[in-house]
Amino acid sequence: MLKPGNIAITGLGTFLGRRLAERLAATQRGIGLTGVDLRRPYGLSNRVRFHPVDLTIPTADGHLAEIFGKEGVDTVVHTAFRREPTTDLEEDHELETIGSLHILNACAAAGVRRLVVASTTMVYGPRPDNPNFLTESHPLHGHPAAHCVANRVEMEALVADWAAGHPGACVTVLRPCWIMGPDYLDSVVRYFSLPVVPTVLGYDPLMQFVHEDDCLHAFETATLRNHPGVFNVVARGVLPLSTILRAGGKRLLRVPAAILYRLRYYPSQAQTGDRPEGFYDYLRYLWVADGERGWAAFGEPEYSTREAWMSFISSRRMRRYR
Amino acid sequence: MGEGSDIDPADETSSKLRRHRDGEDPDREFGDLLSGALLDLREEIHSRFDSQIAPGDVGGRGTANWVALFEELRRRAPTLGMIERSGYVDDFGLDEQTIRRARPLLEYLRAHYWRVDVAGIEQLPSEGPVLLVANRSGILPYDGLMISHVVAESISERRRPRFLVADWLITLPFVQPYLARLGGVRACRENADRLLRMGHSVVAFPEGLKGAGKVFRQRYRLKRFGRGGVVRVAIEVGIPLVPVAVIGAEEAHPVLFKMETLARSLGVSFIPVTPTFPLLGPLGLLPLPSKWSIRFGAPIETEHLGAKTARDALLVSRMTEELRSEIQSMVDVDLHSRVGVWG
Repeated sequence: MLKPGNIAITGLGTFLGRRLAERLAATQRGIGLTGVDLRRPYGLSNRVRFHPVDLTIPTADGHLAEIFGKEGVDTVVHTAFRREPTTDLEEDHELETIGSLHILNACAAAGVRRLVVASTTMVYGPRPDNPNFLTESHPLHGHPAAHCVANRVEMEALVADWAAGHPGACVTVLRPCWIMGPDYLDSVVRYFSLPVVPTVLGYDPLMQFVHEDDCLHAFETATLRNHPGVFNVVARGVLPLSTILRAGGKRLLRVPAAILYRLRYYPSQAQTGDRPEGFYDYLRYLWVADGERGWAAFGEPEYSTREAWMSFISSRRMRRYR
Repeated sequence: MGEGSDIDPADETSSKLRRHRDGEDPDREFGDLLSGALLDLREEIHSRFDSQIAPGDVGGRGTANWVALFEELRRRAPTLGMIERSGYVDDFGLDEQTIRRARPLLEYLRAHYWRVDVAGIEQLPSEGPVLLVANRSGILPYDGLMISHVVAESISERRRPRFLVADWLITLPFVQPYLARLGGVRACRENADRLLRMGHSVVAFPEGLKGAGKVFRQRYRLKRFGRGGVVRVAIEVGIPLVPVAVIGAEEAHPVLFKMETLARSLGVSFIPVTPTFPLLGPLGLLPLPSKWSIRFGAPIETEHLGAKTARDALLVSRMTEELRSEIQSMVDVDLHSRVGVWG
């Protein structure tokens, strides 16, 4: 097992990138940390050397390769993904798919030996014909109306291609499901923060979450040790959507699918640039992932789905009554 | 001090209280009134803030009770909805609380509505999972629910088998949440394999959609058994196959014919027309009270074959056909011996 050299994190401003950098800065002495993003995050630790790079410009790959070479980077963690979908689909594609391509090219040029990529279990897609537990080898269907997911699917295909072309490099793809926790925020979390939560009438699928600490732990382990392959990063246990919402003290607004898919603005706490079914189908059909492989590699998760959800809910309550 | 004097001076509190309540007394001075009111106020404060002092005080305790009740309700309000379900489901969505609540209804259906005769259940192995293979009939999966209920009732709740349900049914609005809570699982290889390896028995209907959509004219004629997936899974896991013949479920939902054109335009697999269904609306979905029988056949062991033989396509298809004809002959025998459709 080779000792990790210097680590570069792309997308330092994202939750995963930022928290991972802080964790590594706190625990790993003697490892150079490099961060890449558009802007320097506020209050960043001095141990992280920051380089501003715009992943969407065509020459980003050369620029990145130069930075990786200069900093002696050995491990790249790619987390430069939007935490919420945007209405600018073209820009989204440029960042998530083409930006990933730039990073892969730069990794090849700089001779990076370990690559960790953040994906999501949403790439499997919510489908009536999904088995109850989706393993890592299940085909990635995504959702026809969800561009943000389509970009991740495309990105995963690029990464798989790259991994096949660079057998010397250890490529880890981590697919966390929806992340819950005191600090994590994205469009999904904002949807679950609504006091009255719209759901699809007549459907009550099983849901699965992962706690932000367990997710970060998986990323940290994958960054420091070789774990080649694809891993679902999920908590143990599943719960029906209605049980989750009731346990969180929410009210359910059950709306027929035909109406819900035309409502753009109230449930737009979960505003996606996509058509609403790109989000609501995830609350209609099953897309629970099988976490066995990830648990074997990164250890037993600390929080179950219920505990992850309650940790999120209790932190929200604290904030409300502060 | 008019009437205050004839009350026992030892009980000063009650005397002052009474004096205050009989406030109409014109001789009363303002000072007395005030001191009485103050005393009341003090008692009220005591009863609210210190329940140890209050117990003898009737008026105060009533207030405290209401406050406590209100507090209790307010504390519980967000969790009130949780009473109907335990809030815990297993990996496949089965909720023991829902099953416990549905048990009287299922038991009524079994004993009084369909008067299910059960035979051969003693042949089930006493330990370990089995793959029960049955003939599919009716539209809604009442047959799977009944087999599952019968096994759980006559052997033990712990061995309740999960029944596999076609995708179009498991994602049917309003049906989907209940099916999953009651032990229905989407029919696919991955699910069957995982359930059996977890040690749960499984009820499978290999006829699939062809079975559910059978018209009345073809009743009790078993269709082709898929592509042998059932047998292959059983061999891979090394568990016995148990043929099961269900009689009566065909008449519970007699499908006269299927509306193909309308179904295609609505994007569903088929729209059945039963004597009651489109006519009576949702009420037509209620099954008819036909007389049922469920017969379990002798288990077919697969363990000795070894997991590798699952790839032997000829063996698998031969075993599948044998299984199908076994169930067909069990169905034929039971049909022959039954007295009448309504029993």
